[in-house]
Amino acid sequence: MNIVVLVKQVPDSEAMVQVREGGSAVEVEDKYTLNFFDSLAVEEALRIKEQVGSGKVTVVTLGTQKSVEALRTGVAMGADEAVLLDDPALIGGDEYVTAKALAQAIKNMEYDLILCGREAFDDSSGAVGPLVAEFLGIPHITVAVKIEVSSEQRTVTVEREVEGGKEILKAPLPVLLSAQKGLNEPRVPPITGVMKAMRTEIKRLDLAALDLPATEAGVAGAKQEVLRYHRPPERPPVKIVEGEVPDAVRELVKLLKEEAKVI
Amino acid sequence: MDFRFSEEQEFFRKTIAEIVDKMIVPKAAEIDEKDEFPWELWKEFSKLGYLGLRYPEEYGGMNADKVTTMIFYEEITRGSVGFAQSVIMNMLMGTYFIHRFGTEEMKKRCLIPAIRGEKIATICFTEDQSGSDLAATRTTAVRDGDGWVINGTKMWITNGPICDFCTVLASTDPSKGLKGLNFFLVEKGTPGFSTGQVLNKLGCRGTLTGELIFDNVRVPAENFLGDELGKGVVYVGDILDEVRIMTAAMALGIARAAYDEALEFARKRVAFGNPIGRYQLIRAKFAEMTAEMQAARLLMYHAAWMLDQGIPCRKEAAMAKLYATEVCQKVVDEATRIYGANGFAYEYAPQRHFRDARFVLYGGGTQEVLKDFIGRLIIGKI
Repeated sequence: MNIVVLVKQVPDSEAMVQVREGGSAVEVEDKYTLNFFDSLAVEEALRIKEQVGSGKVTVVTLGTQKSVEALRTGVAMGADEAVLLDDPALIGGDEYVTAKALAQAIKNMEYDLILCGREAFDDSSGAVGPLVAEFLGIPHITVAVKIEVSSEQRTVTVEREVEGGKEILKAPLPVLLSAQKGLNEPRVPPITGVMKAMRTEIKRLDLAALDLPATEAGVAGAKQEVLRYHRPPERPPVKIVEGEVPDAVRELVKLLKEEAKVI
Repeated sequence: MDFRFSEEQEFFRKTIAEIVDKMIVPKAAEIDEKDEFPWELWKEFSKLGYLGLRYPEEYGGMNADKVTTMIFYEEITRGSVGFAQSVIMNMLMGTYFIHRFGTEEMKKRCLIPAIRGEKIATICFTEDQSGSDLAATRTTAVRDGDGWVINGTKMWITNGPICDFCTVLASTDPSKGLKGLNFFLVEKGTPGFSTGQVLNKLGCRGTLTGELIFDNVRVPAENFLGDELGKGVVYVGDILDEVRIMTAAMALGIARAAYDEALEFARKRVAFGNPIGRYQLIRAKFAEMTAEMQAARLLMYHAAWMLDQGIPCRKEAAMAKLYATEVCQKVVDEATRIYGANGFAYEYAPQRHFRDARFVLYGGGTQEVLKDFIGRLIIGKI
């Protein structure tokens, strides 16, 4: 069972994020980490490989040198190989071109299953995974909380959360699945993994290796253009209802109904 | 000149920092409060293999460079000093002499299980009347047929109450002072070897520290750890720099834990209508703390780098420990001030860092002994 895991290096949840004056860009403090949902995907890939007993897990990302860390984290956890889509022309694109480049890379690999996080913590679009599946012409199932692989029947049975319940879907391999919180508990890398990660050679693919024209990559190929970033609105101050309890409760209920309109 | 960690060291730092944040930080307050050895965490953590960091791969280690091991010591201490002390004892002093002088059989019996966390190691220098002054060691080892008989009581032994084996400093010839000192391996279960009082400490709680008693403890000749009698102090000298730099790394780890908490507090705590971090006197504290911690960090990693390069660094290692320890005292103090009255409450973390910081004043040689030592190196014999 060969599994490809799409990973992304994203700002740490503790990193300070500021919108540049004028809204042209976002400035992020230099604290990055492997996207949480992607760590679930890596963990699941390792579990499936262990359960099936053969195959390899390859972590793939598109980005700058900084992204190598996400790949190394994947290898430290137990992935066998790491691939970086590494070309200045690939940078600055949108979900569409990113997925296209990833699909070009995966097309030439042997894979039975592609896993990714349900979305990245930074842009939260959740679009790259499904787009990769579309470019490759394979099915996809998103926000999986349980995955069962049958290597004999070459199918997956996936449980996904839906409003008020769960949905159970079955799909043939190869398929792309995106991981949701609750799927598993990602492992802590052992020192042997860290040693391997530090020594592992990162395979690098540029535009030529991906067989992609420059017009279909990065900024040049993007379908979207970011017009402006906005700071989220400041939260209104907390209102404390004072007074005797019965009156205060009456006042609180009134405010919740009329002002906050939540009940 | 290149002051950056290598890409590998940087990756190691981030990985271990994340592990510490996930596994150790959430348990630090409880470890301190209970003052019991955290067996569950010990098993969970040692399983990951980091205790072998500085040893060769054939023993389950990683053969890491010194800079990398210091990164580890700094990060794990940032998590919990109580836990870090036990871990570092197993990784460094508790196993150093066995790795260097022990038989292969001994390494199988002690070193490898210690690296795996299956056995707890320690080293015994200190006695009730001797610490930095090793020449005052009163524990003796007397030749008896083909073995040695050890008598004495050791005090302040980190991991002592729960150790499975220990390296004991004893005098084989009290008339020779420092030149009569040697190291011996004593394993749990050896007749006459027992644990005594467990100390109730101000800080570093969770690490059990106490007394070890040697009452006519007979060990075979091979348990003498050295290649020549009378060279115990020389061997101490061989590891001294690493131990001092390690203590500096621990001091920085404590300082960073306190600093991080204080920074978060200063950004959130509102007084007079503003987060207190907007006030100049609070900003001044952070400016000073950041600059001094950076200076301590540079001294420490520079000394570790010298160690890796094989450049003599006795003075640099001592200076790193001396300075990082003082910076640590200042940072834990400022952190409690930034917290205001909350810094005085057991409910908040600053008091724990404040108590823990005291340990580095004595561990690895007292500040007074270090200052005298550095001054002597500079001024020379006059």
